[in-house]
Formats: sequence, structure tokens, C-alpha cells
Amino acid sequence: MDIMGADLVKAFACLGAGISMGLGAIGPGVGEGFAAGKACEAIGRNPQEAGLLTRTMLVGQAVSESTGIYSLVIALLLLFVV
Amino acid sequence: MTGIEWIKAASVLGAGMSVGFAAIGAAVGEGYTAGKANEALSFRPNLVGDILKTMLVGQAVAETAGIFGLVIAMLLLFSPIEGKSVLTAWAYMGAGLSMGLSAIGCGIGAGLPAGTACQGIGRQPMVSGQLSTLMLIGSGVAQSTAIYGFLIALLLLYKQLPMGMAIVPACSMVGAGLCMGFGGIGPGIGEGMAAMEAVSAVARNPLTVGLMTRTMLVGQAVSESTGIYSLVVALLLVLSV
Repeated sequence: MDIMGADLVKAFACLGAGISMGLGAIGPGVGEGFAAGKACEAIGRNPQEAGLLTRTMLVGQAVSESTGIYSLVIALLLLFVV
Repeated sequence: MTGIEWIKAASVLGAGMSVGFAAIGAAVGEGYTAGKANEALSFRPNLVGDILKTMLVGQAVAETAGIFGLVIAMLLLFSPIEGKSVLTAWAYMGAGLSMGLSAIGCGIGAGLPAGTACQGIGRQPMVSGQLSTLMLIGSGVAQSTAIYGFLIALLLLYKQLPMGMAIVPACSMVGAGLCMGFGGIGPGIGEGMAAMEAVSAVARNPLTVGLMTRTMLVGQAVSESTGIYSLVVALLLVLSV
């Protein structure tokens, strides 16, 4: 088996895409779950503010999602551009 | 070494990774549940039947991720390897990584609400039915990324591969395994944390059960998104071979 340089780049881009999206998904998953859990706890204490708390939870989760989306963008770039 | 020997070596390694990593999550989750059940029993020894039943149901749900790992390990060990492409070795490693790593998060995630449900039954024995239902919904959603990992592992196991060695498909398949494997950890734990707090809130104030189920599911759906991104990237990698 002889490996050409371009093949090696493509192969490592595939491996890199997997590692990027895989590890990149850990943080947002845990972080968004933490936000959802604390929102549940807060709504349990004060059910009247459910609307406000759900809105705040979703804004916090959207910010927490951003690194997951960066990982997705990098993975797709590695798959389709490199 | 011949191609067959490489495939055999990779299937043994993949089986070890699949069941080994999967066992971490399942064991941690079940241990947490048992600990919380003991804590609840020390306050309310008369509720032993209810608490023990909830503990066992919750542990069974947390165990499923471990059982998925065992199934993939068995398939890896006992699938026929005669006449297969040498690329199969890489697919087997990817399958082991995908199943094993993704099961870590789901085992822990399913154990968290189960433990809190045991504690909640100790606090509010009257609503044990509602607590068990909410626990099962929450743990079930937390299992979803282990099911994605199982799916990617099966795709890698039964894929028709071109003969001969090439580095790009080999790395794609290992990359798909790493992507779905690591990608399943975070959402599994996160969804478990959301379900844990929801169960604990219902145990404090059982009237909020409808509101709590809704909030929990919305939060878990957002938390699931990175798991779905990982599934998409892993599918792109597997199907590009």
C-alpha cells in the first residue's frame, strides 16, 4: 500500500471531523442539561414565573449551544472543503 | 500479518472497547441510584417496597446502555470474517468506539433521575406513580444517544466495503466511531441532569407535574441537539465510504 500525500490529508481531515464534532458535543450537552435542570428546579419553587424562567433557560442554552455549532461548522468544513 | 489476522485483532479490540467503556456509565448510574435509595430508606424504612421497586426499574433502564455495549461486543467477536476486506478491521474499531463511548453518558444520565425518584418517593409516598412515570420519560430520553451509537455501530458492522486497503475510508470509519461515541456522552449526562431536577421538583410540589414534564422535555430537546449534530456528521462519514 502506498499512500499519497493528498490521501493522507483527506484521511486525517475525516478523522479530525469526527474528533471535532465528537468532543465538541460533550460540553454543550452537559451545559444545556444543567441549565434545563436548574430551570426545572426554579419553576418548581415558583410556578408563576414559568414563562420568564423558560425564556431565560432557552437564551442560556442558545449561548451554550454556540460551541457545538462551531464544532459542527469545522467538521463540515473538514469533510467538504479540505 | 494477513488481512484476516488484522480483522480478528480489530474485532477483539473493538469488543473490549465497546463493553468496557459502556460498563463505566451503566455502573456509575446504577450505583448512584442505589446510594440514593439507601439514603431514602434510612429516613423512611417503612417504604421499602416502593423504593426498592423504583430503584430496580431505574437501574434496569440505566443498564440498557451496558447491554447495548455487550450486544455489539458479541456481534464483533462472533461475526464471520472469511473473505472480508481488510478495511473491515477499521470498521470494527469504529463500531466499538461508537457504542462504548456513547453508552458512558447514557448510563450516568439514566441513573441520575432514578436516584432522585427514590429520594422523592421517600419524601412524597403519595405521588410515587407520577414520580416513576416522570423518571421513566426522563431516563428514556437520556438513552437516545446510546441508541444513535448503537445505530452507527450496526451500520459500521454490516457495511459492504471495497476490497483492498485505502487510508481515507479507514480514517472515515474510525472518525465516525469517535464522533458518535464522544458526541453521545454530553447529551446523555445533560438530559439526565434535567430529568433529575424535574423529578426532584415534582417531589417537592406534586401539583406542578404537567408544567415540569413540559419544561423538562423542552430542555432535553435543546440538550439533544449536539447529539444529533454528531449523528449527522457520523452518518456523513460512514456513508461517504
